[in-house]
Amino acid sequence: MPRWSFAAFFIIVAAAIAGPSLLQTDPFESVARPFAPPVWTGGEEGPALAVSLSPSKTLFEKKWNWSPPENISIRGTLSFEEDPSASLVWTGPGGERFVLAVSGDTREWLIDIDARDVSFKASLGVPPFGNATSVLFRNHENIRVEIEGTTPSAGKIEIRTPGGKWGLMGTDQRGRDVLSLFTEGIRISLIVGLAATLISSALGLLVGLSSGYLGGKIDSFIMRGVDVLLSIPVLPILMVIVGIWGKGLWQLILILGLFSWMGTARTVRSLALTLRESCYVENLRSIGASPWYILWRHLVPEALPVLLAAVTLGVPGAILAEAGLSFLGLSDPRIISWGRMLHEAHGFGAFTAGAWWLILPPGIGISVICLVFLDMGRALEEIADPRLVKGNRK
Amino acid sequence: MNSYWIRRFAGALAVLLLIITANFFLFRVMPGDAVSTIVDPRFSPEAKEKMRHLFGLDLPLHQQFFIYVRRMLSFDFGISFLSQRPVWDEIKSRIPNTLALLGTSLLLSSAIGTWLGVKAARKRGGFLEKAVIFSGSISFSFPSFFVQLVLLLLLAYTFPVFPLRGTVSIPMPSGTLPRVIDYIHHLILPAGSLVLLGFGSWAIYVRNLMVKTLGEDFILLARARGLSEDRIIWNHAFRSTLPPILTIFLLALPGIVSGAVITETVFSLHGVGKFLLDSILGHDYPSAGAAFYILGLLTIASNLAADAACTLADPRIRVGKRAER
Repeated sequence: MPRWSFAAFFIIVAAAIAGPSLLQTDPFESVARPFAPPVWTGGEEGPALAVSLSPSKTLFEKKWNWSPPENISIRGTLSFEEDPSASLVWTGPGGERFVLAVSGDTREWLIDIDARDVSFKASLGVPPFGNATSVLFRNHENIRVEIEGTTPSAGKIEIRTPGGKWGLMGTDQRGRDVLSLFTEGIRISLIVGLAATLISSALGLLVGLSSGYLGGKIDSFIMRGVDVLLSIPVLPILMVIVGIWGKGLWQLILILGLFSWMGTARTVRSLALTLRESCYVENLRSIGASPWYILWRHLVPEALPVLLAAVTLGVPGAILAEAGLSFLGLSDPRIISWGRMLHEAHGFGAFTAGAWWLILPPGIGISVICLVFLDMGRALEEIADPRLVKGNRK
Repeated sequence: MNSYWIRRFAGALAVLLLIITANFFLFRVMPGDAVSTIVDPRFSPEAKEKMRHLFGLDLPLHQQFFIYVRRMLSFDFGISFLSQRPVWDEIKSRIPNTLALLGTSLLLSSAIGTWLGVKAARKRGGFLEKAVIFSGSISFSFPSFFVQLVLLLLLAYTFPVFPLRGTVSIPMPSGTLPRVIDYIHHLILPAGSLVLLGFGSWAIYVRNLMVKTLGEDFILLARARGLSEDRIIWNHAFRSTLPPILTIFLLALPGIVSGAVITETVFSLHGVGKFLLDSILGHDYPSAGAAFYILGLLTIASNLAADAACTLADPRIRVGKRAER
């Protein structure tokens, strides 16, 4: 019985593994202005421009459909085989020609232009507090850069403008690419969710089996403890422990694992209680099997399907807890997670910038990953306990 | 006073003791000595010893623990590192806000959830039932703060219907009525978002219980007696599902308190949860410990209250012969 969630799970895992290497941008690097919206949104601001001129391509021409960018930088080196007399010419709006740079006598021509440079502004006839790009760019007109004169033999010039828009998901308050932050977050969510649930399930299995199988005073003592732990709000405890102990990823996983085993322990215990009374366990006891042998070789395999479903159903809880703690700012700022992204959106003015692209992707990501795990857990539950399917049909 | 209540009180006391003990040890296992963080390392050993004596750190651990328990029980939490004011004064002003947030959201979400759940159970397979199941599974997987951030973005920033942050406007409006209205205006979004997130799972529980109960024989008998449908639903079926509903409420309480901490942070409410976070981030250990203690106390108190409600609703407990299940 194929369920959509299994396919979705594999897609998510694949995205977590392959995503960061497929995306060219480094999630820690600033690529555009802060809070740049995604490119597919409307608006006056243009996307980032990154082109290069080289000996094989000495001309760049493009229709500029947006308002002038904040800045433009042109830098690079060209080398020549003979003594050059070349110039870099910008043809701006209305066919106006600007000579941006002229080569010297040497065969190496180093160009380093930044539109914020006052002397550069002066050469274009822009006042020191004006913006040079307003002369070079105009909405709905062509821009054209060309290397005129001697053809260079090697080298490259990079022309860059910071984008007013960026990528599929825009940028955050530090100008980082939200798409690569988002893909990085998949990994963290999966790691934390799975690792914390594995720890808590192992603990729950241990406690539940020993409690259910040993029974008596130990059982009632353990179950009292579980009741007490279940009646304390977990998030404040986690907050206090993380605040004292540290914000690292593994510490977080360990803490989450240590405080979420109670539900699994209860499920396993009730299973162990019924199994303990079953005939085959009694037979095993009568032929002298040790409790450890019965637990390990018979009860654990018996409990595994139920446990697998419990693990899968427990992952959303761990993911949500991690997201909650990160959202409160109690996570390592060097580790990108979806909760952290929402924390930064909340704390660093995404609201005043109207930056919905900082809030929707991580939030929807968390919800989708939780829904996938919930559905997978239900499917596994049905496999472990086929009566549930019949109940559905009725 | 029967054995049920003695058991309950013993349980509450155990939780309280656990919280106090956890508090006591948590803040003592942190790296470094409390003294070394506040005294200059150039102090002479004698001065350090005097400092330790002043804080009672030279006493044996069990004696320190008893002093700690006594002070916790008398709400003497010491001085806050951040504001230099008594912690209890800081917390006192915040408790009503947290209570208001928790109270309204709990009351509304349980009322709406119960009503919808009963409605859904009456008409199996209808649109309402599907909607209830859908909203329940949504509320399990959507992180509360995300929903709240979206609401904030929509209803406070894009369409400024509600205030962006805080419990009251600054400056506060004069007069009692405008103040109350202002307070409610600030409370609508936080409490409303908690209701929005909470009622779905509530409705699913109630619906499941009701569906089960409506299939039982005594409902058939009630129908045979010719009672009105409303009477069957509310006086017979719903009445008998009350104890399990209250039990679910008990189990959900800690999660609701956790949710309040996040909600207060999102909306910058002047509440205990936000105070806990601020103290933790500011390494204000007396305040953090006290806020944690107060949140635990709130949970215990509402646990006992729900137990009392359970007693009223379940005659088996009231009579003192609770069937062992």
